[in-house]
Parts: sequence; structure tokens; C-alpha cells
Amino acid sequence: MLKIDKVSKSFGGIIATDNVSMEIQPNSINALIGPNGAGKTTLFNLITGKIDIDEGQIFIENNNITNLKETDITHLGIARAFQITNIFPTLSVQDSIKVALLAKQYGLNNMWNRFKAHSINNEAESIAKLSGLTKSYNTISSALSHGDQKLLDIALALALKPKVLLLDEPTAGMGPEERWKMIDRIQKLWKKTKMTVLFIEHDMDIVFDIAQNIYVLQQGAIIAEGTPKEIKSNKKVIKAYLGGGKK
Amino acid sequence: MKFLKKDNFHRDAFIGIFVWFFLIIFYHIFPHPGIHDIIQKVFILGLFAMSLNILIGYLGLIAFGHAAFFAAGAYTLGLFLQSNIVTNLGGFSIPMAIILAIMISSALATFIGIICIRLKDIYFSFLTLAFQMLIYSIILALVDITGGDQGLMGGFPKPPFLGIDLGKPFDFYAFTIFISIITIVMLRQLIESPFGYGLRMIRDNSERPASLGFNNQKHKLIAFIIAGSIAGLAGSLQALLDVGAYPEWAFWAKSAEPLFMILLGGMHSFLGPLMGALIFEVLNDFVTANTRYYGLVLGLVILCFVLGLRKGLLDWILIKYYRK
Repeated sequence: MLKIDKVSKSFGGIIATDNVSMEIQPNSINALIGPNGAGKTTLFNLITGKIDIDEGQIFIENNNITNLKETDITHLGIARAFQITNIFPTLSVQDSIKVALLAKQYGLNNMWNRFKAHSINNEAESIAKLSGLTKSYNTISSALSHGDQKLLDIALALALKPKVLLLDEPTAGMGPEERWKMIDRIQKLWKKTKMTVLFIEHDMDIVFDIAQNIYVLQQGAIIAEGTPKEIKSNKKVIKAYLGGGKK
Repeated sequence: MKFLKKDNFHRDAFIGIFVWFFLIIFYHIFPHPGIHDIIQKVFILGLFAMSLNILIGYLGLIAFGHAAFFAAGAYTLGLFLQSNIVTNLGGFSIPMAIILAIMISSALATFIGIICIRLKDIYFSFLTLAFQMLIYSIILALVDITGGDQGLMGGFPKPPFLGIDLGKPFDFYAFTIFISIITIVMLRQLIESPFGYGLRMIRDNSERPASLGFNNQKHKLIAFIIAGSIAGLAGSLQALLDVGAYPEWAFWAKSAEPLFMILLGGMHSFLGPLMGALIFEVLNDFVTANTRYYGLVLGLVILCFVLGLRKGLLDWILIKYYRK
């Protein structure tokens, strides 16, 4: 589904992404882990076209998306939610989702019909339901709780009906209870929509619990990949990341 | 009336026509030319301020050079009506002149917009200001055409069309308000359309739209052109009223006027700038009649609004009484 082929990126001599190759299977849920500064978000930025790639290529299905524009990559089916919540503060949940729906699928060029009367209510409602935002459907985004803002960020990505969904630390800044709720939500979402998911996460319990496949990034390079079982017993990973104490 | 509760085009159009009729009746009840003059100017300047508020309130771009389009509209209308074409066109020359004024100012807005919208924040503001001063200098330099610092002198004919004679005060009053109301109703439709929500989206977060597969720049440019052409329309109406055009209309101080109106009336409510224009005009009229220190009074009033209400008057009223 998503193929990353020997991708490298450096910023003024500092190597942020070092010859990374990944091949993500359709309908799978994958985790990307690694210590702070390992280059996880940079990799997301490279995939989504937010920053340009120095070397290597990226494909979605059979389309080469290397160094395409961010908007074009989005149209080819990659959507992302952000680590630092990235929403529209003065719009309500409902309006935010509708704007996202219109932005990609129907266009926002219509200057005459009323936005509020647009016949996408059902679609917007189902996305809110999928993201667990039904209760706060009419709330202004800036008044939402932190967790709900994160969910809205994901809902905006879902509105694009992506083939591949990239989630950058969906549980960042949450307490343990909220965290598991979020993970539960993501798992349900993945099962329902059957899209391909790649997420960044710090909590190992969560990663081992829901990911089918795990990629471990260190100093820009992939040092291991495999099922949770394989990763748990991988010596390199234990040494670099999980801490030597565990067996 | 049930349909008045619904926020849609029919309601807005109905309110628009109702207000127009009301103001016409008002004209006959209070036959005081001074009051009529204020109302006309409120609508003309209100259009100007509302066009700027597309950029400031809905798009979040503070344009300092909006008067360039106002002046472009005014000079286009004046020069067109002074030319020989009028004798051939006769009755249709005024509608033609207004349409031409809108077209020329939107062409100018396209040119300036393509360059300016690439920039953000203060850089955008100052580049628009630079373009406006360029237009100002051109107007001053082309003495043979524009009359330089004297302005467009000698007046121009206002041939009647469709039974409307703009030389008569009542016809002018009804016509100006009618055109303004139509524009305002259409602008309302635009602001509440998917396009208008696209503007709010860019205002709220200019980074995210790209990751939603949405092209910011095109949207911004179209909004800039629409704002410029409405300012051009306001300028052409002002030129019709004053039977002339003046270089001060392209000066930076003229761009500050709609900014003051937006501050006074409120940038987050649709009709805020129009209310601001009303406050601005009434202040202008009464203060200049009683004292020489107009600037001082205006400054104090703006201070009261900014420090006291912390928002424009209409924003304040709506928040206090309707959006609890």
C-alpha cells in the first residue's frame, strides 16, 4: 500500500532520515516507535510532502509521490493527524468536519449555496460518530477538551476518506485512562474502515497491544521491524530503546 | 412570519428590500438633506468597510492599501463619464461606467493580489500599502489625465437611464442605497457559502488546509479580487456623489478609514463594518460641526471601544444579547 524506498533527508549536515525503507501492507495497523529525535515526525513530513526528500522514493499503491505537493499527495489518499493538535479554533466540530469534507471532495468554490444547507450532514455526522464526537457536535473547537481536540484532528483526516492514515502521537499529553480510550477508538476505527494505519506512539504497552507490525527508528534509521513478538525479543531494540533490564 | 427565522437567501433578500423601502419612506418623512447625505455616505463607506472586512474579519489578512481600489473605481467612473463615449452611449453610460469601475478595480486587485497574497502578516500589510502609494503617485503624476493634486475637475454629466435621474437628490439616494443593499445581500450569500467557510478555515489555521488537499492561495486571491471590486464599486458611487475624484482617496489615510469603521462596528459580525460606518459618519458630521478637533474626538471614541468594549459595538451587542 505504502512503499518507502531508501529515503534519506538531512538538514544542513544533520541526518534526520537515513536510508529508510518500509513496505506497509494494505489494511494493516502499524506502529512507528523510537526515542525522541529519532526522526519519526520527519518521516511523516516526508511522506505527506510537507518537506522535500533528498534521496529515495515513496509510492502509494502504484503512484510515485516523491516530492509531489502536499495537496496532491492528499488527493492520492494519504491523510494525517498531527502531534500538536492542528484544528480550526473558531469553527464548531460540525463545521470543521464539513469544511474538511468539502475541501477535498466537493470543493469550496461554491459561492452561492449556503454552507449550512449543504447536503453533507449525514456524512459529517457519521464521521463525528466514528471519531466519538457526537456529543460535542455543535461545540466550538477551541472549547473542546484536549482529548476531543485530538479526536477532531483525526476526524478531519478521516473526512478525506484516506487509503493511508498517519497518526502522529494520538495519545500525546493524555492521562492513562484517556489514553486507552483513545486507543480503543483508533482500533475500532481501523476495524470499521479497514484503512491502512501508521501511528507514532511512545507507550510500549499500547504499541504491543494493537500494532500488527512495528518499525523501530533510531537516529533516522530503521533498526528493526517485525511483529510485536519479534520486536520484544530483538536485542538491538532492547538495547537501544526498551532498556536492558527487561528480558 | 415563519421564514424570517431561517437563515437563508430569501430572508436576507426580504430584509434588504424592507430596509430599502423603509429608508425611502424615511426620506419623505424627514426631508432634511443633511440626514439623507449621511445615510448615503454610510452605505457607500459601509460597502468599502465591508469589502475590507472580507480580508480582515474572514480571511485574517490585514490589508493597509484598500483605498487603491476605491480610488481606481472612482477615477474610472469619472474619466469614463468625462470622455466622449457618453454622448454616443447616452442613457446607458452610468451603468456602463459603474460596471467598468468594478472591472478595472478587480483587474487591479488581481494584479496586486497575485503578488501580495504570497506574503503573510505584516509583510502582506506593508506590500499592499506600498502598492497603494504607487497608485497615489501615479494619480499625482498623470496631471493631464487625472488633474493631479487638484483631482478630477470640471464635473461630468449624469444622463438619466431607465427613468432614473441621478442629478435629482431622491433618485441618487434611492439608487445608491439600492445598489449597496444588493451588494450586501450578495456578499452575505458569499460569506455564508462553502467559499466563505473556506476563508474562515484559512483564517483559523493556514497550515492545515494543505493537508486537507486544499489550495489556500487560489482561495485567498479570489477573496482579494472580490474585496477589491466591491471597494471599486464603493469608490464609483462616491465619485458619482461628489461629481469628481480626488487623489486623497488613494492616500494611505483613506485606507485607515475602513479600518476604523471595522474597529468601531466589529469585525466578527457581518454587518459590523456597516454599523462602524454609521458611527464614523455621525461622529464626523456632528463633531466637525461643533469643534475643529475631529481627530481628537475620533481617537478618544476608538480608545473607548478598544479598551472599554474590547470589540466593535455590534460584536459586543450580539455577544451580550444573542450568543450567550
